[in-house]
Amino acid sequence: MKQEIGQLEFMGYKREDGSLGIRNYVLILAVTHASHAAAYKIHENVNGTKVFVPEDEDGRSSRDRATIARVMIGLGRNPNVDSVLLLCSNRVVAYEELSVSRISSEISKSGKEVRVLAMDECGGFYKMLGEGIRMAREMVWKASRTRRTMARFSDLFIGVKCGLSDATSGIAGNPVVGYMADQLVHSGGRFVFSETTEVIGAEHFIADRCRNEHVREKFLQAVTKTEEEAKLIGEDIRTINPIPANIEAGITTLEEKSLGAISKAGHSELIDVIAYGEHPEGKGLFFMDSWMSSTTLFLGYAAAGVTLGIFQMGGACLPDSPVVPAVSTGIVTPIFYVTGNPRTYRKGEMDFNAGTVIEGKETIESAGLRLCESVLEVASGTMTFSETFNYQDRVEIFLNGPKL
Amino acid sequence: MEKILTLNEMDNTGVAVDDVNKGEIVCYVKGNIMMTLTALETIPFGFKISLKDIPKGDDILKYGQIIGVAQRSIHIGELVHVHNVEGKRGRGDLQER
Repeated sequence: MKQEIGQLEFMGYKREDGSLGIRNYVLILAVTHASHAAAYKIHENVNGTKVFVPEDEDGRSSRDRATIARVMIGLGRNPNVDSVLLLCSNRVVAYEELSVSRISSEISKSGKEVRVLAMDECGGFYKMLGEGIRMAREMVWKASRTRRTMARFSDLFIGVKCGLSDATSGIAGNPVVGYMADQLVHSGGRFVFSETTEVIGAEHFIADRCRNEHVREKFLQAVTKTEEEAKLIGEDIRTINPIPANIEAGITTLEEKSLGAISKAGHSELIDVIAYGEHPEGKGLFFMDSWMSSTTLFLGYAAAGVTLGIFQMGGACLPDSPVVPAVSTGIVTPIFYVTGNPRTYRKGEMDFNAGTVIEGKETIESAGLRLCESVLEVASGTMTFSETFNYQDRVEIFLNGPKL
Repeated sequence: MEKILTLNEMDNTGVAVDDVNKGEIVCYVKGNIMMTLTALETIPFGFKISLKDIPKGDDILKYGQIIGVAQRSIHIGELVHVHNVEGKRGRGDLQER
């Protein structure tokens, strides 16, 4: 059965570097903060574009500047991107890691077309705006001539975040996603999970699955560092879990709670631990050391090369007819909403109902297989429900500080 | 409709996906086989029921992993929770440094 799933096909965009995209955007990137306005206005005027304007780079540590650069380069290289339009105020005055020539050449290594507009060369904002619209329209038209071709399930790189957890998360939602993760990894694909704070208590289960001692060390260090950061400000995570509300809901031990959370990653060997926004080497299961916020994590996944994001949601606290909590925070990477709570599914906005497991209509395995099929449909072009909304939620890069 | 969900074939506990009354006969799926047992007490939605007799000191298994240890012997069909299980990694009421 696993081999059959690996052979299942979708229609995707084959890129120069061999990667497979499921969408085909022209990305507008403001390389320095002075070109914000032009980036947004070009995007507003040209269909088929996505825009990303990073945080202001001034007054930040070299580590944070490197993260900003890594995210911009990673976004530009994402397989869902056809070509990139870089905007800057001038080509010369910049931190070295954020210079337009470096960003441009790094993205170009993927084989994508990168075009650069500098405001001083254009003769000011208004001329840059006009030139940028013209250029972006040409790029989008050219991108539209690319056709989808046959691709395999194993060509996908999927990343998951779980949120608004309730009793169904650990018993239906996460295990169903985990089943799909196992299928993807076993067929030769890539899967990433994250949210370092929420593996605390279950880290030994993942540590035991690390490919080698080096990866195990990296993983445990990431967890320890996060726990130390909490303790530094007087928060000791381990002595407050499970919380009374968990115990009231039937969660008995810390291990049980954490296992519910990590079940979204399936059971495969952990190949490597990657930094926020870092592209992994090789195939298999990866862990991204990152903050769990949905305003930052899907962006980090997109920068790492993830082509489809999954948000597994409990959602018991959501009102009726809600909007999902993170609309398009993957910028170029669509987000697919899964819930294991049938009541959440009935509220609307969800892409997939794993609540059938709770209702006894399906096993975890059969829901997991159905999820693989739904993912393949989205990969071929079916929109996720949040993709239909012309709205961009706030996004932020996961930066460590300090601010200087 | 099975009221008890198991996450892994190796588990000796299952989760109630609907409220289970004391005395009710409930089903769960193990591999391809449908199993039944009688609930010896009320098992609310989201709580665990023992699928086997678990001797004191034995591991409690869920998700195919050890989630704790039986603090006393547990009969098949009993509620499994903080009154008869202790986690190895501590709880909210214990100091752990």
